[in-house]
Amino acid sequence: MSRVPYHELKARERIAAIVDPGSFSEIIPPPERVMSAYLPKLGIPVAFDDGIAIGRASIAGKPLYLAAQVGQFVGGSVGEVHSAKLVGLLKSAARDRLPCVFLVESGGVRLHEGSSGEIGIAEAIRAVFDCRAAGAPTIAVIGSDIGAYGGMGILSACCDFRLMTEHGRIGISGPIVIEKWMGKEAFDSSNRALVWKTSGGKTRFLLGDAEALVNDSTDAVRDGILSLLSRSAKPDLAFVKARQKFLQERLDTFGKTPDPDAIWAALGIRDVAAATLAEASEFVESFAPKKP
Amino acid sequence: MTNLLARFFGDSASGITLTDKIATGYASLNGSAVCVIGTVEGTYINDAAALLLSAQVLDCIESKPGMPIVMLVDSAGQEPNRTAEMLGLPFYFGHLLTCLEVAREAGHKLVTVATGKAIGGAFLCYGMFADAIYALDSASLGLMPVEAMSAVTKIPVATLQELSKTLPALEFGAGPFALLGGVMEVWPTDDSLPAKLSAAIDAATTEDTRALLGKERGGRPQALDVQQRVLAESAA
Repeated sequence: MSRVPYHELKARERIAAIVDPGSFSEIIPPPERVMSAYLPKLGIPVAFDDGIAIGRASIAGKPLYLAAQVGQFVGGSVGEVHSAKLVGLLKSAARDRLPCVFLVESGGVRLHEGSSGEIGIAEAIRAVFDCRAAGAPTIAVIGSDIGAYGGMGILSACCDFRLMTEHGRIGISGPIVIEKWMGKEAFDSSNRALVWKTSGGKTRFLLGDAEALVNDSTDAVRDGILSLLSRSAKPDLAFVKARQKFLQERLDTFGKTPDPDAIWAALGIRDVAAATLAEASEFVESFAPKKP
Repeated sequence: MTNLLARFFGDSASGITLTDKIATGYASLNGSAVCVIGTVEGTYINDAAALLLSAQVLDCIESKPGMPIVMLVDSAGQEPNRTAEMLGLPFYFGHLLTCLEVAREAGHKLVTVATGKAIGGAFLCYGMFADAIYALDSASLGLMPVEAMSAVTKIPVATLQELSKTLPALEFGAGPFALLGGVMEVWPTDDSLPAKLSAAIDAATTEDTRALLGKERGGRPQALDVQQRVLAESAA
Protein backbone atom coordinates (compact mmCIF):
# COMPACT_ATOMS: atom_id res chain seq x y z
CA MET A 1 0.00 0.00 0.00
CA SER A 2 1.20 3.46 -0.82
CA ARG A 3 1.52 5.62 2.26
CA VAL A 4 0.96 9.00 0.65
CA PRO A 5 -1.06 10.85 3.31
CA TYR A 6 -4.33 11.92 1.73
CA HIS A 7 -4.82 14.89 4.03
CA GLU A 8 -1.49 16.48 3.09
CA LEU A 9 -2.27 16.65 -0.63
CA LYS A 10 -3.85 19.44 -2.63
CA ALA A 11 -7.01 18.97 -4.68
CA ARG A 12 -5.47 18.03 -8.05
CA GLU A 13 -2.81 15.88 -6.36
CA ARG A 14 -5.61 13.96 -4.63
CA ILE A 15 -7.39 13.41 -7.93
CA ALA A 16 -4.18 12.24 -9.65
CA ALA A 17 -3.42 9.82 -6.81
CA ILE A 18 -6.90 8.30 -6.72
CA VAL A 19 -8.14 7.95 -10.31
CA ASP A 20 -6.75 5.74 -13.09
CA PRO A 21 -3.60 7.34 -14.53
CA GLY A 22 -4.43 9.94 -17.17
CA SER A 23 -8.17 9.37 -16.86
CA PHE A 24 -9.11 12.76 -15.38
CA SER A 25 -10.62 15.11 -17.92
CA GLU A 26 -11.25 18.47 -16.24
CA ILE A 27 -14.34 20.49 -17.12
CA ILE A 28 -13.78 24.28 -17.20
CA PRO A 29 -10.10 23.95 -16.21
CA PRO A 30 -8.13 26.91 -14.79
CA PRO A 31 -6.97 28.27 -18.21
CA GLU A 32 -10.63 29.04 -18.94
CA ARG A 33 -10.53 31.54 -16.08
CA VAL A 34 -14.16 31.15 -15.02
CA MET A 35 -13.92 32.81 -11.65
CA SER A 36 -15.56 34.84 -8.94
CA ALA A 37 -16.91 38.28 -9.86
CA TYR A 38 -17.16 39.18 -6.16
CA LEU A 39 -13.65 38.75 -4.81
CA PRO A 40 -11.96 41.40 -7.01
CA LYS A 41 -14.49 43.97 -5.79
CA LEU A 42 -13.50 43.10 -2.22
CA GLY A 43 -9.80 43.33 -3.03
CA ILE A 44 -9.25 39.60 -2.54
CA PRO A 45 -7.17 37.47 -4.95
CA VAL A 46 -9.17 35.17 -7.24
CA ALA A 47 -8.48 31.59 -8.30
CA PHE A 48 -8.85 30.64 -11.95
CA ASP A 49 -10.89 27.57 -10.92
CA ASP A 50 -12.80 29.30 -8.08
CA GLY A 51 -11.39 26.73 -5.68
CA ILE A 52 -12.77 23.55 -7.21
CA ALA A 53 -11.65 21.08 -9.86
CA ILE A 54 -14.42 19.06 -11.54
CA GLY A 55 -14.44 16.52 -14.34
CA ARG A 56 -14.76 12.95 -15.51
CA ALA A 57 -12.40 10.15 -14.58
CA SER A 58 -12.33 6.43 -13.92
CA ILE A 59 -11.33 4.29 -10.97
CA ALA A 60 -10.43 0.67 -11.78
CA GLY A 61 -12.00 1.28 -15.17
CA LYS A 62 -15.34 2.46 -13.75
CA PRO A 63 -16.35 5.87 -15.14
CA LEU A 64 -17.47 8.56 -12.73
CA TYR A 65 -17.76 12.28 -12.12
CA LEU A 66 -15.46 13.82 -9.57
CA ALA A 67 -15.02 17.14 -7.76
CA ALA A 68 -12.17 18.21 -5.51
CA GLN A 69 -12.28 21.35 -3.42
CA VAL A 70 -9.17 23.48 -2.91
CA GLY A 71 -8.89 24.16 0.80
CA GLN A 72 -6.02 26.60 0.29
CA PHE A 73 -8.36 28.99 -1.53
CA VAL A 74 -10.64 30.83 0.94
CA GLY A 75 -11.04 27.62 2.96
CA GLY A 76 -12.55 25.68 0.07
CA SER A 77 -15.57 27.90 0.45
CA VAL A 78 -18.54 27.78 -1.89
CA GLY A 79 -19.28 30.91 -3.92
CA GLU A 80 -21.46 31.47 -6.99
CA VAL A 81 -19.16 29.91 -9.59
CA HIS A 82 -17.94 27.17 -7.25
CA SER A 83 -21.50 26.09 -6.48
CA ALA A 84 -22.55 26.29 -10.13
CA LYS A 85 -19.72 23.90 -11.03
CA LEU A 86 -20.99 21.52 -8.34
CA VAL A 87 -24.57 21.76 -9.60
CA GLY A 88 -23.53 21.21 -13.23
CA LEU A 89 -21.46 18.19 -12.23
CA LEU A 90 -24.29 16.64 -10.20
CA LYS A 91 -26.80 17.18 -12.99
CA SER A 92 -24.36 15.60 -15.45
CA ALA A 93 -24.03 12.57 -13.15
CA ALA A 94 -27.81 12.27 -12.82
CA ARG A 95 -28.25 12.55 -16.61
CA ASP A 96 -25.58 9.93 -17.34
CA ARG A 97 -26.44 7.77 -14.30
CA LEU A 98 -22.81 7.77 -13.23
CA PRO A 99 -21.41 7.97 -9.72
CA CYS A 100 -20.47 11.41 -8.40
CA VAL A 101 -17.59 11.59 -5.94
CA PHE A 102 -16.72 14.69 -3.89
CA LEU A 103 -13.31 15.14 -2.35
CA VAL A 104 -14.65 17.59 0.21
CA GLU A 105 -12.52 20.29 1.80
CA SER A 106 -14.72 23.22 2.70
CA GLY A 107 -15.81 25.41 5.56
CA GLY A 108 -19.12 25.98 3.77
CA VAL A 109 -20.65 28.98 2.04
CA ARG A 110 -18.16 31.70 1.02
CA LEU A 111 -19.08 34.62 3.23
CA HIS A 112 -17.65 37.10 0.73
CA GLU A 113 -20.36 36.15 -1.76
CA GLY A 114 -23.15 36.24 0.78
CA SER A 115 -26.45 34.69 -0.16
CA SER A 116 -25.25 33.78 -3.65
CA GLY A 117 -23.23 30.78 -2.46
CA GLU A 118 -25.99 29.85 -0.02
CA ILE A 119 -28.55 29.56 -2.82
CA GLY A 120 -25.92 27.70 -4.87
CA ILE A 121 -25.53 25.09 -2.13
CA ALA A 122 -29.31 24.76 -1.90
CA GLU A 123 -29.36 24.06 -5.65
CA ALA A 124 -26.55 21.54 -5.23
CA ILE A 125 -28.44 19.74 -2.45
CA ARG A 126 -31.46 19.39 -4.74
CA ALA A 127 -29.16 18.09 -7.48
CA VAL A 128 -27.74 15.47 -5.05
CA PHE A 129 -31.26 14.09 -4.79
CA ASP A 130 -31.60 14.17 -8.59
CA CYS A 131 -28.65 11.77 -8.60
CA ARG A 132 -30.15 9.59 -5.89
CA ALA A 133 -33.46 9.42 -7.76
CA ALA A 134 -31.57 8.40 -10.92
CA GLY A 135 -29.68 5.68 -9.05
CA ALA A 136 -26.35 7.48 -9.52
CA PRO A 137 -24.43 6.99 -6.26
CA THR A 138 -23.16 10.13 -4.53
CA ILE A 139 -20.11 9.73 -2.31
CA ALA A 140 -18.57 12.38 -0.06
CA VAL A 141 -14.93 11.74 0.80
CA ILE A 142 -14.07 13.65 3.97
CA GLY A 143 -10.43 13.35 4.87
CA SER A 144 -8.96 16.84 4.99
CA ASP A 145 -8.19 18.95 8.03
CA ILE A 146 -10.74 21.58 7.00
CA GLY A 147 -13.39 18.89 6.72
CA ALA A 148 -16.98 19.46 5.63
CA TYR A 149 -18.70 22.30 7.47
CA GLY A 150 -21.69 24.58 7.14
CA GLY A 151 -23.64 23.96 3.94
CA MET A 152 -21.05 21.44 2.75
CA GLY A 153 -21.64 19.46 5.95
CA ILE A 154 -25.36 19.37 5.16
CA LEU A 155 -24.73 18.49 1.49
CA SER A 156 -22.35 15.69 2.50
CA ALA A 157 -24.97 14.32 4.90
CA CYS A 158 -27.44 14.17 1.98
CA CYS A 159 -25.18 11.96 -0.16
CA ASP A 160 -25.68 8.20 -0.37
CA PHE A 161 -22.37 7.50 1.37
CA ARG A 162 -19.59 9.14 3.33
CA LEU A 163 -16.04 7.81 3.31
CA MET A 164 -13.95 9.33 6.07
CA THR A 165 -10.44 9.19 7.43
CA GLU A 166 -9.66 10.08 11.01
CA HIS A 167 -8.41 13.45 9.76
CA GLY A 168 -11.81 14.25 8.31
CA ARG A 169 -14.48 16.10 10.23
CA ILE A 170 -18.09 16.86 9.43
CA GLY A 171 -20.34 19.36 11.15
CA ILE A 172 -22.27 22.57 10.69
CA SER A 173 -20.89 25.08 13.18
CA GLY A 174 -17.12 24.77 13.60
CA PRO A 175 -15.37 24.72 16.99
CA ILE A 176 -14.31 28.38 16.91
CA VAL A 177 -17.88 29.55 16.26
CA ILE A 178 -19.21 27.38 19.09
CA GLU A 179 -16.52 28.59 21.47
CA LYS A 180 -17.38 32.22 20.64
CA TRP A 181 -21.06 31.52 21.15
CA MET A 182 -21.09 29.19 24.15
CA GLY A 183 -17.81 30.09 25.88
CA LYS A 184 -14.50 28.31 26.27
CA GLU A 185 -15.81 26.11 29.09
CA ALA A 186 -18.47 24.74 26.71
CA PHE A 187 -16.04 24.08 23.86
CA ASP A 188 -12.32 24.79 23.96
CA SER A 189 -11.52 24.97 20.24
CA SER A 190 -7.79 24.56 20.95
CA ASN A 191 -8.45 21.11 22.47
CA ARG A 192 -7.62 19.15 19.31
CA ALA A 193 -8.54 15.77 20.79
CA LEU A 194 -12.00 17.02 21.74
CA VAL A 195 -12.48 18.74 18.36
CA TRP A 196 -11.77 15.51 16.49
CA LYS A 197 -13.77 13.32 18.87
CA THR A 198 -16.72 15.67 18.42
CA SER A 199 -16.87 15.60 14.62
CA GLY A 200 -14.04 13.35 13.39
CA GLY A 201 -14.15 10.17 11.33
CA LYS A 202 -13.98 7.67 14.19
CA THR A 203 -16.95 9.12 16.07
CA ARG A 204 -18.97 9.48 12.85
CA PHE A 205 -18.21 5.87 11.89
CA LEU A 206 -19.21 4.57 15.33
CA LEU A 207 -22.48 6.50 15.25
CA GLY A 208 -23.26 5.22 11.76
CA ASP A 209 -22.94 8.52 9.89
CA ALA A 210 -19.92 7.46 7.84
CA GLU A 211 -20.30 4.21 5.92
CA ALA A 212 -16.54 3.71 5.65
CA LEU A 213 -13.56 4.71 7.76
CA VAL A 214 -10.19 4.18 6.08
CA ASN A 215 -6.53 4.97 6.67
CA ASP A 216 -5.16 8.34 5.67
CA SER A 217 -3.58 7.09 2.43
CA THR A 218 -4.59 7.69 -1.16
CA ASP A 219 -4.69 3.93 -1.85
CA ALA A 220 -7.04 3.30 1.07
CA VAL A 221 -9.27 6.17 -0.04
CA ARG A 222 -9.36 4.84 -3.62
CA ASP A 223 -10.19 1.29 -2.47
CA GLY A 224 -12.86 2.70 -0.19
CA ILE A 225 -14.49 4.67 -3.03
CA LEU A 226 -14.37 1.58 -5.23
CA SER A 227 -16.23 -0.46 -2.59
CA LEU A 228 -19.09 2.08 -2.62
CA LEU A 229 -19.35 2.79 -6.36
CA SER A 230 -21.69 0.04 -7.39
CA ARG A 231 -24.19 0.59 -4.62
CA SER A 232 -26.90 3.20 -4.56
CA ALA A 233 -29.47 3.87 -1.89
CA LYS A 234 -32.52 5.62 -3.29
CA PRO A 235 -34.43 6.82 -0.24
CA ASP A 236 -38.01 5.57 0.18
CA LEU A 237 -40.58 5.79 2.96
CA ALA A 238 -39.35 2.66 4.74
CA PHE A 239 -35.80 4.02 4.68
CA VAL A 240 -36.66 7.41 6.18
CA LYS A 241 -38.99 5.88 8.78
CA ALA A 242 -36.17 3.65 9.97
CA ARG A 243 -33.82 6.66 10.00
CA GLN A 244 -36.33 8.68 12.04
CA LYS A 245 -36.40 5.96 14.69
CA PHE A 246 -32.61 5.57 14.63
CA LEU A 247 -31.90 9.30 15.02
CA GLN A 248 -34.58 9.70 17.70
CA GLU A 249 -33.03 6.85 19.71
CA ARG A 250 -29.61 8.45 19.34
CA LEU A 251 -30.92 11.76 20.64
CA ASP A 252 -32.79 10.07 23.51
CA THR A 253 -29.73 8.04 24.49
CA PHE A 254 -26.95 10.59 24.09
CA GLY A 255 -28.65 14.00 23.98
CA LYS A 256 -27.36 14.82 27.45
CA THR A 257 -23.96 13.14 27.13
CA PRO A 258 -21.31 15.78 26.45
CA ASP A 259 -18.40 13.35 26.92
CA PRO A 260 -17.40 11.66 23.65
CA ASP A 261 -15.51 8.90 25.49
CA ALA A 262 -18.75 7.95 27.27
CA ILE A 263 -20.46 7.66 23.87
CA TRP A 264 -17.63 5.53 22.50
CA ALA A 265 -17.88 3.24 25.56
CA ALA A 266 -21.66 3.01 25.26
CA LEU A 267 -21.28 2.10 21.58
CA GLY A 268 -19.11 -0.88 22.49
CA ILE A 269 -15.52 0.41 22.58
CA ARG A 270 -13.94 -1.47 25.49
CA ASP A 271 -10.56 0.25 25.54
CA VAL A 272 -11.22 3.89 24.64
CA ALA A 273 -7.62 5.01 25.20
CA ALA A 274 -6.19 2.36 22.84
CA ALA A 275 -8.97 2.94 20.28
CA THR A 276 -8.17 6.65 20.27
CA LEU A 277 -4.59 5.93 19.21
CA ALA A 278 -5.41 3.13 16.75
CA GLU A 279 -5.06 3.62 13.02
CA ALA A 280 -8.38 3.66 11.14
CA SER A 281 -8.10 0.11 9.75
CA GLU A 282 -7.16 -1.25 13.17
CA PHE A 283 -9.97 0.77 14.75
CA VAL A 284 -12.51 -0.76 12.39
CA GLU A 285 -11.20 -4.32 12.68
CA SER A 286 -10.26 -4.57 16.35
CA PHE A 287 -12.14 -1.92 18.31
CA ALA A 288 -15.43 -0.96 16.70
CA PRO A 289 -18.36 -3.37 17.06
CA LYS A 290 -19.01 -5.33 13.87
CA LYS A 291 -21.75 -3.85 11.70
CA PRO A 292 -24.60 -6.22 10.92
CA MET B 1 -47.11 34.51 16.05
CA THR B 2 -50.56 32.91 16.27
CA ASN B 3 -51.62 36.08 14.43
CA LEU B 4 -49.41 35.18 11.50
CA LEU B 5 -50.67 31.58 11.40
CA ALA B 6 -54.23 32.90 11.52
CA ARG B 7 -53.49 35.23 8.62
CA PHE B 8 -52.76 32.22 6.44
CA PHE B 9 -55.08 29.62 7.92
CA GLY B 10 -57.81 31.50 9.83
CA ASP B 11 -59.48 29.48 12.59
CA SER B 12 -57.94 26.30 11.24
CA ALA B 13 -54.58 27.52 12.60
CA SER B 14 -55.70 25.82 15.82
CA GLY B 15 -54.73 22.54 14.13
CA ILE B 16 -51.09 23.62 14.24
CA THR B 17 -49.18 22.70 17.39
CA LEU B 18 -46.33 24.85 18.66
CA THR B 19 -43.66 22.85 20.51
CA ASP B 20 -40.72 25.00 21.60
CA LYS B 21 -41.41 27.37 18.68
CA ILE B 22 -41.58 24.50 16.18
CA ALA B 23 -44.88 24.46 14.30
CA THR B 24 -46.37 21.19 13.04
CA GLY B 25 -49.87 20.17 12.05
CA TYR B 26 -52.63 20.38 9.49
CA ALA B 27 -54.71 23.39 8.56
CA SER B 28 -57.08 24.67 5.92
CA LEU B 29 -55.94 27.13 3.27
CA ASN B 30 -58.63 28.70 1.09
CA GLY B 31 -60.78 25.63 1.71
CA SER B 32 -58.08 23.05 0.97
CA ALA B 33 -56.22 21.01 3.57
CA VAL B 34 -52.47 21.50 3.88
CA CYS B 35 -49.72 20.12 6.08
CA VAL B 36 -47.70 22.78 7.90
CA ILE B 37 -44.17 22.60 9.24
CA GLY B 38 -42.25 25.62 10.46
CA THR B 39 -40.25 27.67 12.88
CA VAL B 40 -41.54 30.81 14.63
CA GLU B 41 -40.24 33.81 16.52
CA GLY B 42 -36.71 33.51 15.16
CA THR B 43 -35.97 30.37 17.17
CA TYR B 44 -32.73 28.46 16.69
CA ILE B 45 -33.13 25.08 15.10
CA ASN B 46 -31.41 21.99 16.50
CA ASP B 47 -31.49 18.20 16.21
CA ALA B 48 -34.68 17.80 18.24
CA ALA B 49 -36.43 20.47 16.16
CA ALA B 50 -35.40 18.77 12.92
CA LEU B 51 -36.88 15.48 14.17
CA LEU B 52 -40.18 17.15 15.08
CA LEU B 53 -40.43 18.58 11.57
CA SER B 54 -39.44 15.32 9.86
CA ALA B 55 -41.95 13.36 11.99
CA GLN B 56 -44.70 15.65 10.68
CA VAL B 57 -43.55 15.15 7.09
CA LEU B 58 -43.60 11.36 7.58
CA ASP B 59 -47.07 11.52 9.13
CA CYS B 60 -48.28 13.53 6.14
CA ILE B 61 -46.83 11.06 3.62
CA GLU B 62 -48.43 8.13 5.43
CA SER B 63 -51.80 9.54 6.36
CA LYS B 64 -52.49 12.33 3.82
CA PRO B 65 -51.31 11.14 0.41
CA GLY B 66 -50.46 14.00 -1.91
CA MET B 67 -51.37 16.78 0.51
CA PRO B 68 -49.30 19.94 -0.10
CA ILE B 69 -46.71 20.76 2.56
CA VAL B 70 -46.32 24.41 3.53
CA MET B 71 -43.02 25.34 5.16
CA LEU B 72 -42.91 28.52 7.23
CA VAL B 73 -39.48 29.83 8.14
CA ASP B 74 -38.64 32.17 11.00
CA SER B 75 -35.34 30.94 12.40
CA ALA B 76 -32.09 32.76 13.15
CA GLY B 77 -29.98 29.72 12.32
CA GLN B 78 -28.73 26.43 13.63
CA GLU B 79 -27.88 26.26 17.30
CA PRO B 80 -24.10 26.34 17.82
CA ASN B 81 -23.79 23.52 20.34
CA ARG B 82 -20.99 21.01 20.72
CA THR B 83 -23.14 18.12 21.93
CA ALA B 84 -25.53 18.59 19.01
CA GLU B 85 -22.56 18.61 16.62
CA MET B 86 -21.22 15.45 18.24
CA LEU B 87 -24.58 13.74 17.79
CA GLY B 88 -24.35 14.64 14.10
CA LEU B 89 -26.40 17.79 13.47
CA PRO B 90 -25.79 17.67 9.67
CA PHE B 91 -27.35 14.21 9.67
CA TYR B 92 -30.49 15.40 11.45
CA PHE B 93 -30.81 18.18 8.87
CA GLY B 94 -29.97 15.75 6.05
CA HIS B 95 -32.67 13.40 7.32
CA LEU B 96 -35.26 16.21 7.26
CA LEU B 97 -34.29 17.01 3.67
CA THR B 98 -34.47 13.33 2.72
CA CYS B 99 -37.97 13.06 4.21
CA LEU B 100 -39.02 16.09 2.15
CA GLU B 101 -37.55 14.49 -0.98
CA VAL B 102 -39.51 11.28 -0.33
CA ALA B 103 -42.62 13.47 0.03
CA ARG B 104 -41.86 15.27 -3.23
CA GLU B 105 -41.44 11.98 -5.08
CA ALA B 106 -44.73 10.77 -3.60
CA GLY B 107 -46.45 13.77 -5.20
CA HIS B 108 -46.63 16.25 -2.31
CA LYS B 109 -46.05 19.84 -3.40
CA LEU B 110 -43.59 21.72 -1.22
CA VAL B 111 -44.00 25.48 -0.85
CA THR B 112 -42.03 27.74 1.50
CA VAL B 113 -42.88 31.15 2.89
CA ALA B 114 -40.08 32.94 4.75
CA THR B 115 -42.07 34.87 7.33
CA GLY B 116 -39.30 36.25 9.55
CA LYS B 117 -35.65 35.33 9.85
CA ALA B 118 -34.49 32.85 7.25
CA ILE B 119 -30.81 32.59 7.87
CA GLY B 120 -27.98 30.20 7.03
CA GLY B 121 -28.38 26.54 7.92
CA ALA B 122 -31.88 27.05 9.30
CA PHE B 123 -33.10 28.05 5.84
CA LEU B 124 -31.00 25.42 4.05
CA CYS B 125 -32.25 22.51 6.15
CA TYR B 126 -35.86 22.66 4.92
CA GLY B 127 -37.21 25.96 3.50
CA MET B 128 -34.76 26.29 0.61
CA PHE B 129 -35.54 22.72 -0.46
CA ALA B 130 -39.10 23.58 -1.56
CA ASP B 131 -40.47 23.45 -5.11
CA ALA B 132 -41.24 27.16 -4.80
CA ILE B 133 -40.07 29.70 -2.24
CA TYR B 134 -41.74 32.99 -1.29
CA ALA B 135 -41.04 35.63 1.34
CA LEU B 136 -42.94 38.31 3.21
CA ASP B 137 -41.58 41.79 2.53
CA SER B 138 -40.66 42.15 6.20
CA ALA B 139 -38.62 38.93 6.27
CA SER B 140 -34.86 38.91 6.85
CA LEU B 141 -33.29 36.54 4.37
CA GLY B 142 -29.65 35.91 3.79
CA LEU B 143 -26.48 34.23 4.80
CA MET B 144 -25.74 36.70 7.58
CA PRO B 145 -26.06 40.43 8.30
CA VAL B 146 -23.16 42.60 7.04
CA GLU B 147 -21.98 43.24 10.61
CA ALA B 148 -21.42 39.51 11.15
CA MET B 149 -19.92 39.16 7.67
CA SER B 150 -17.51 41.98 8.47
CA ALA B 151 -16.45 40.39 11.76
CA VAL B 152 -15.46 37.16 10.02
CA THR B 153 -14.03 38.48 6.74
CA LYS B 154 -12.31 41.54 8.33
CA ILE B 155 -13.77 43.69 5.56
CA PRO B 156 -15.11 46.96 7.04
CA VAL B 157 -18.89 47.25 7.43
CA ALA B 158 -18.91 50.48 5.40
CA THR B 159 -17.18 48.75 2.46
CA LEU B 160 -19.69 45.87 2.53
CA GLN B 161 -22.63 48.26 2.77
CA GLU B 162 -21.37 50.29 -0.18
CA LEU B 163 -20.80 47.16 -2.27
CA SER B 164 -24.19 45.73 -1.35
CA LYS B 165 -25.79 48.55 -3.37
CA THR B 166 -24.59 46.84 -6.53
CA LEU B 167 -24.21 43.28 -5.19
CA PRO B 168 -27.56 42.09 -3.79
CA ALA B 169 -25.88 38.89 -2.57
CA LEU B 170 -24.25 40.93 0.19
CA GLU B 171 -27.46 42.65 1.22
CA PHE B 172 -29.85 41.17 3.72
CA GLY B 173 -33.58 40.96 3.03
CA ALA B 174 -36.41 39.57 0.91
CA GLY B 175 -35.92 41.93 -2.05
CA PRO B 176 -32.21 41.25 -2.60
CA PHE B 177 -32.80 37.50 -2.14
CA ALA B 178 -35.43 37.62 -4.88
CA LEU B 179 -32.94 39.32 -7.23
CA LEU B 180 -30.67 36.30 -6.74
CA GLY B 181 -33.54 33.98 -7.68
CA GLY B 182 -33.69 32.62 -4.12
CA VAL B 183 -37.37 33.54 -3.80
CA MET B 184 -39.91 33.71 -6.61
CA GLU B 185 -41.91 36.62 -5.25
CA VAL B 186 -42.05 38.94 -2.26
CA TRP B 187 -45.45 39.34 -0.64
CA PRO B 188 -46.84 42.20 1.46
CA THR B 189 -48.33 41.05 4.76
CA ASP B 190 -52.01 41.63 4.02
CA ASP B 191 -55.30 39.80 3.54
CA SER B 192 -54.29 38.46 0.15
CA LEU B 193 -51.85 35.96 1.70
CA PRO B 194 -54.15 32.88 1.76
CA ALA B 195 -55.10 33.37 -1.89
CA LYS B 196 -51.48 33.97 -2.88
CA LEU B 197 -50.21 30.89 -1.05
CA SER B 198 -53.00 28.79 -2.49
CA ALA B 199 -52.16 29.94 -6.02
CA ALA B 200 -48.46 29.34 -5.34
CA ILE B 201 -49.20 25.73 -4.39
CA ASP B 202 -51.20 25.23 -7.59
CA ALA B 203 -48.40 26.72 -9.70
CA ALA B 204 -45.51 24.87 -8.06
CA THR B 205 -43.48 22.45 -10.16
CA THR B 206 -40.52 20.29 -9.17
CA GLU B 207 -38.14 22.11 -11.50
CA ASP B 208 -35.48 24.22 -9.76
CA THR B 209 -35.65 27.60 -11.54
CA ARG B 210 -33.48 29.62 -9.14
CA ALA B 211 -30.43 29.94 -11.39
CA LEU B 212 -32.62 31.05 -14.30
CA LEU B 213 -34.41 33.65 -12.13
CA GLY B 214 -31.08 34.87 -10.72
CA LYS B 215 -29.80 35.48 -14.21
CA GLU B 216 -33.00 37.12 -15.49
CA ARG B 217 -33.15 39.41 -12.48
CA GLY B 218 -29.45 40.17 -12.65
CA GLY B 219 -28.57 39.31 -9.04
CA ARG B 220 -26.72 36.08 -9.76
CA PRO B 221 -25.40 36.53 -13.29
CA GLN B 222 -22.90 33.64 -13.44
CA ALA B 223 -24.65 30.62 -11.93
CA LEU B 224 -26.90 29.52 -14.81
CA ASP B 225 -24.23 29.94 -17.48
CA VAL B 226 -21.66 27.94 -15.53
CA GLN B 227 -24.17 25.16 -14.76
CA GLN B 228 -25.17 24.91 -18.41
CA ARG B 229 -21.60 25.02 -19.62
CA VAL B 230 -20.67 22.09 -17.36
CA LEU B 231 -23.68 20.13 -18.62
CA ALA B 232 -22.79 20.86 -22.25
CA GLU B 233 -19.10 20.03 -21.90
CA SER B 234 -19.75 16.82 -19.94
CA ALA B 235 -22.05 15.64 -22.74
CA ALA B 236 -19.44 16.25 -25.42
